[in-house]
Amino acid sequence: MTRHFNAILMGLVPIVLVLALWQALCSFGTAPPSLLPPPGKVFLRLVQQLGNTGFLDDILATLWRLFAGFFIAVVLGVGIGLAAAVSPAVNAVVRPLVQVLAPLPKVALYPALIILFGFDHASKITLVTLDALFPILLSTYYGASMVEQKLVWSALAAGTPRRQILFKVILPAALPSILTGCRIGLVISCIVVFLAEMITSTDGLGHLLVGAARTFQTVDMFVPLITISLLGLMLNGLLFGLRKYLLRGFPEV
Amino acid sequence: MRVAASRISPLLACLGLLAAWQIAALWLNTDSFPTAWQAIKTVPDILGDRESLLNILDSVRRMAIGLTLAVLISIPLGLAMGRSSRVAAFFNPLLMMVYPVPKAALMPVIMLWLGVGDASKTLVIFLGVSLPVIYHSFQGARAVEEKMLWSGAAMGLSCMQRMFRIVLPAALPEILTGCRTGLVLALITMVTSEMIARQSGAGNILFNAMDMAQYDTVFAMIIILGALGIILDAAFDKLRWRLVRWAEPRQEILLGAA
Repeated sequence: MTRHFNAILMGLVPIVLVLALWQALCSFGTAPPSLLPPPGKVFLRLVQQLGNTGFLDDILATLWRLFAGFFIAVVLGVGIGLAAAVSPAVNAVVRPLVQVLAPLPKVALYPALIILFGFDHASKITLVTLDALFPILLSTYYGASMVEQKLVWSALAAGTPRRQILFKVILPAALPSILTGCRIGLVISCIVVFLAEMITSTDGLGHLLVGAARTFQTVDMFVPLITISLLGLMLNGLLFGLRKYLLRGFPEV
Repeated sequence: MRVAASRISPLLACLGLLAAWQIAALWLNTDSFPTAWQAIKTVPDILGDRESLLNILDSVRRMAIGLTLAVLISIPLGLAMGRSSRVAAFFNPLLMMVYPVPKAALMPVIMLWLGVGDASKTLVIFLGVSLPVIYHSFQGARAVEEKMLWSGAAMGLSCMQRMFRIVLPAALPEILTGCRTGLVLALITMVTSEMIARQSGAGNILFNAMDMAQYDTVFAMIIILGALGIILDAAFDKLRWRLVRWAEPRQEILLGAA
């Protein structure tokens, strides 16, 4: 218990140090407040903004795009990944496509997506999906293809119908790997949605940042950045909780 | 036969994608969505134009510098975190906080401090690349077998020697996986930072063309950037294959964004 506590304490040290350095830079006048506002001011502004409906609407817009894109990516990624692991024919088609598409810088596709789907939600959601898809697909594929053949045989021997093997044996056995992929995909979704909103948007956290940068409101520039960082932490925590719940029967997770 | 098939199949996939694009464009038939063939025809124009070529090379140079610096700093940090639980406990929460922040989103803030020039873009690339490299080095160093370290210590290797001669080689496959992810991320961060700062570079050409409704150029730039990503990734994979041929193939999860 104390060991755990110590670890947390150790971890807080650098965060506190960063905050102290930030405060020191401001209070000793090394950085002018127009370039680096003091941390107290930024956090105060964040708390103020949380009571502001406009700000909350922006957060909701960002979250809606993030979740829509992420869920489509999970459904497609897990589906295609499982199919590729189970069927050699699907694998033959999917594998080369993934080899080509995975290293492609997806942000570069964003202008094309805008042209095709317009400036609204659709283009951003598609970009999030494209970016989050590959980590989820790859980890599903690896997870599902590593399932021990013996498990499948015993299930067959125990009388499981062939078509249920996929859902009763392979999917649960691949779950840890799938969830790892989802975690990476989630962080990526956070990042991408913010970037897409920065490049072209009329609402959302990324747009807030760009708007503040254009008018040199440095305090308002830091607020969306801290918000997305906190959102990412919270979503990560939620996913971690979900993982713990889903994998409660598994050893060492 | 198998080798030949695995070489050809990505090419076939490329051709298939281009064909699908061509058909979709012909079917939609709008000005804003050129056919694949039109876009490919525009590629030599862009690469032949001196100014665009210089812009693209500038981008690549920034990317190379940012990537190199990030790798040089992140690998030792990651290895130290992997070998010492104290170092890990010290840095982990900070890195967790920083992870979901889009590094390219720091661009406007960094621009205020360092200007719009090379320094800020390189710094953003550096930040974007560091995290996956740190993470993978950390994982790699943590998985090193204790027995090897004990035998090394018993044979009189000092702490630093153990780090260089046991931990580094043992963690190398994992480190290189991180570097590969970092490479893709560097390209992505490069494009995004230029899209946001809009002063020079490949991302800037892309969005300027879009503002001026030169859709052929937009799609040609997408082809160029995509090809750059695929070529760099393939080249790195070859290098990695040479360096860690002894290691069994591991699963590779490509991270995709910055």
